[in-house]
Amino acid sequence: MNAAIELRKVTKTFGRTIAVDNFDLVIPQGGIYGFIGPNGAGKTTTIRLIMSILFPDSGDVSVLGCPSALEAKNRIGYLPEERGVYRKMRVGDFLNYIASLKGVSDSDLNKRISVLLKSVGLGGTERKKCEELSKGMLQKVQILAAIIHRPDLLILDEPFSGLDPVSTRLLRDLILEENRRGATILFSTHVMPQAEEICEHVIMVHQGRKVLDEKLSTIRSQYDPRIIEFNPLDPNADVSVLTNLTGVDRVDRDDSGCKVLLAEGVNPAEMMHRIIDSITPARLELSRPRLEDIFIRLVSAKTDSVEDRQKLRANLAQSSFGEASL
Amino acid sequence: MKKIFLIAKRDFLATVGTKAFIIGLLILPAMIGIFALIGPRLFSPKNFQVKGEVIVIDPTGRVTQELKKNFDPAKIAARQKEEAGKALSSAPQQIRQLAGDSVNKNIANALGPIPDLHILERPAYLGIEEEKYWLNTQPKDMPHLAIIVVHKNAVEPTGKGLEYGAYDIYVSPKLDDRAGGEIHRGLRDAIIAARMQARSIDKTAMDAIFAFSNIQSVTVTPNNQRQTVQGFNVLLPAAFGILLLMGVMGGGGQLLSSMVEEKSSRVVEVLLSAVSPMEIMAGKLLGQLGVSLMGMGLYILMGIALLAGFALLGLLNFSLIFYLILFFLITYLVMGSLMMAIGAAVNDIKEAQGLMMPLTLVFMIPWILWMPISRDPSSVLSVAMSFIPPVNTFAMLLRMVSNAPPPLWQVWISIAIGIGSAVCAVWFAAKVLRIGLLMFGKAPNFATLIRWVRSA
Repeated sequence: MNAAIELRKVTKTFGRTIAVDNFDLVIPQGGIYGFIGPNGAGKTTTIRLIMSILFPDSGDVSVLGCPSALEAKNRIGYLPEERGVYRKMRVGDFLNYIASLKGVSDSDLNKRISVLLKSVGLGGTERKKCEELSKGMLQKVQILAAIIHRPDLLILDEPFSGLDPVSTRLLRDLILEENRRGATILFSTHVMPQAEEICEHVIMVHQGRKVLDEKLSTIRSQYDPRIIEFNPLDPNADVSVLTNLTGVDRVDRDDSGCKVLLAEGVNPAEMMHRIIDSITPARLELSRPRLEDIFIRLVSAKTDSVEDRQKLRANLAQSSFGEASL
Repeated sequence: MKKIFLIAKRDFLATVGTKAFIIGLLILPAMIGIFALIGPRLFSPKNFQVKGEVIVIDPTGRVTQELKKNFDPAKIAARQKEEAGKALSSAPQQIRQLAGDSVNKNIANALGPIPDLHILERPAYLGIEEEKYWLNTQPKDMPHLAIIVVHKNAVEPTGKGLEYGAYDIYVSPKLDDRAGGEIHRGLRDAIIAARMQARSIDKTAMDAIFAFSNIQSVTVTPNNQRQTVQGFNVLLPAAFGILLLMGVMGGGGQLLSSMVEEKSSRVVEVLLSAVSPMEIMAGKLLGQLGVSLMGMGLYILMGIALLAGFALLGLLNFSLIFYLILFFLITYLVMGSLMMAIGAAVNDIKEAQGLMMPLTLVFMIPWILWMPISRDPSSVLSVAMSFIPPVNTFAMLLRMVSNAPPPLWQVWISIAIGIGSAVCAVWFAAKVLRIGLLMFGKAPNFATLIRWVRSA
């Protein structure tokens, strides 16, 4: 399969800061890729390099078979992280203008704009000025601006930020529909459940470097769960007996219940049976590894000190990156 | 190319479609019209009358009598009418026709009430010090204006030569300039009349000798000839200079604000996903050029209509309009590109003010050079300035409109220099745009811009 995006040894620096460091990336046509990392990891810079909005100091970029996105701009849909519209422009005119810039000269363009607006719950807003719409509504308009020309490649930088759950679902369906149509999707996010719901492949970046580039299914199998969340049916049950089970490293108890930490190589399914045999559970659940944990594990080789790890955790918490689980 | 036109079209429509633009475009002609209509009423001296008392200490005994004659209201009115008539005679025929039969009334309206000046004579033996207190007592109905001390030799010279004296004048601190002027004029005429009388010269004959009436000045053009309109040679450079500056400042200002708006609203990144920075720049320059040319075209047409209305169209060399537009294009590209580069570099309009300072100073240069170039278009300064960008276009245009136009080779060298500077400015702006459009945070300075240009 041909690559929709290909980055080879791409490096981009701003002064002394290395924003993207020796980055390799191949995204096949038709794929849905999630680009994940905390704030300042280099996601937006990488996307801008792909879009030829910025240019690499070294390395090669290929987009849709062209050596630069400039040559394929009409085939690319892009939603930047920082959203922007002409506030005084009417919604219909704005979409028409962007579509025209993307080379659409379809006589049915206005009809298509109406249909698309209706599909995201904004029917009848064509004549409204952009400044009259709410932030969430504007975001939908901007997303429509990215897909109005039926692109072959759709690049979305944090597409879900600021959207309510209903709109998030709407957008997710829109993205999947574009992918079904044949578009390659690359979107960046720091909210893992969204990536999990949509993408089939995850690229994780940290300090401008790629730390993970795997299929979601591979990640799931590779980072196997080692925590079982357990609530006994009898609140007064003595859970310390679980520590005596072979393969249990530790049992932590708090107000929400117990967390049984398994030793490496232990089969969680077997362990769950053994727990049930020991204490009757009210709830027994396999805890999926948190993204934060995976991320910390991946970059821990570079963050030697405890202080560095705490800083990293704080950074992750700030960007909501670590709240999700696989 | 199509994308450039799309950007240009959006920018053009976004600018001309605003109320601010329409008001801005019409405000100048509207202001001129309003000024023409209500200005004379607002600034009419009707509400002001030169009125008051003047003490005269005249040791010659001859000046006071003449001064009394000069302060006679009937004589003042006759003199004013004569002076206004002279001024009107140099106006275009159409304006004189407009003044028509009501010319006397119009002159009277324009000049306001006849001065009411009274003379208080004081004997020559009285010292001036004893009278000075009088100046600081001011009755409301008849203000104390001045004390005049005529020199003993004001009428007849002392010594062997022809050394005449004059007069000393002590004035109230509240003396109006118009009242002062009237007193000085009256005194001068009175002393001259007294001197003539002393030498037995017939003043009427002398006045006739000095009088010049019905001077006819005819401006001859290659195709026809017409009465010379005084001031036309001053007004024409002013009109061309203002059109050039207004067009460039207006267009450049719009480019700056539109760029800042697109950057601060982050819409620029959406544009960059569809077009290159160079296409954005070209589109914007083209769009605002259309706006400026529209405004300029409107003013040019209004000016031509005005000249045609007064049958003065023959005085205008139409090739100058071609050069005006050419020089405008060059200056617009230079200044517009630089202003757009500033707009692309800053985060908001406040930051732009700091970087705009040098450009504002450049815009000031034409105003400073205006008079020296207009008065002496062939001076070293005028010639030098017409080759130094970015003011060369302005200086050359002023020289071309003047009554001593430069040789054609100088004009085209200036145009070539202008085109060269426009290319440099566009190149500089393109480099700044490429980096600056997505740069947010610390306000840039000129060193930053130069660094961006080097690295882009």
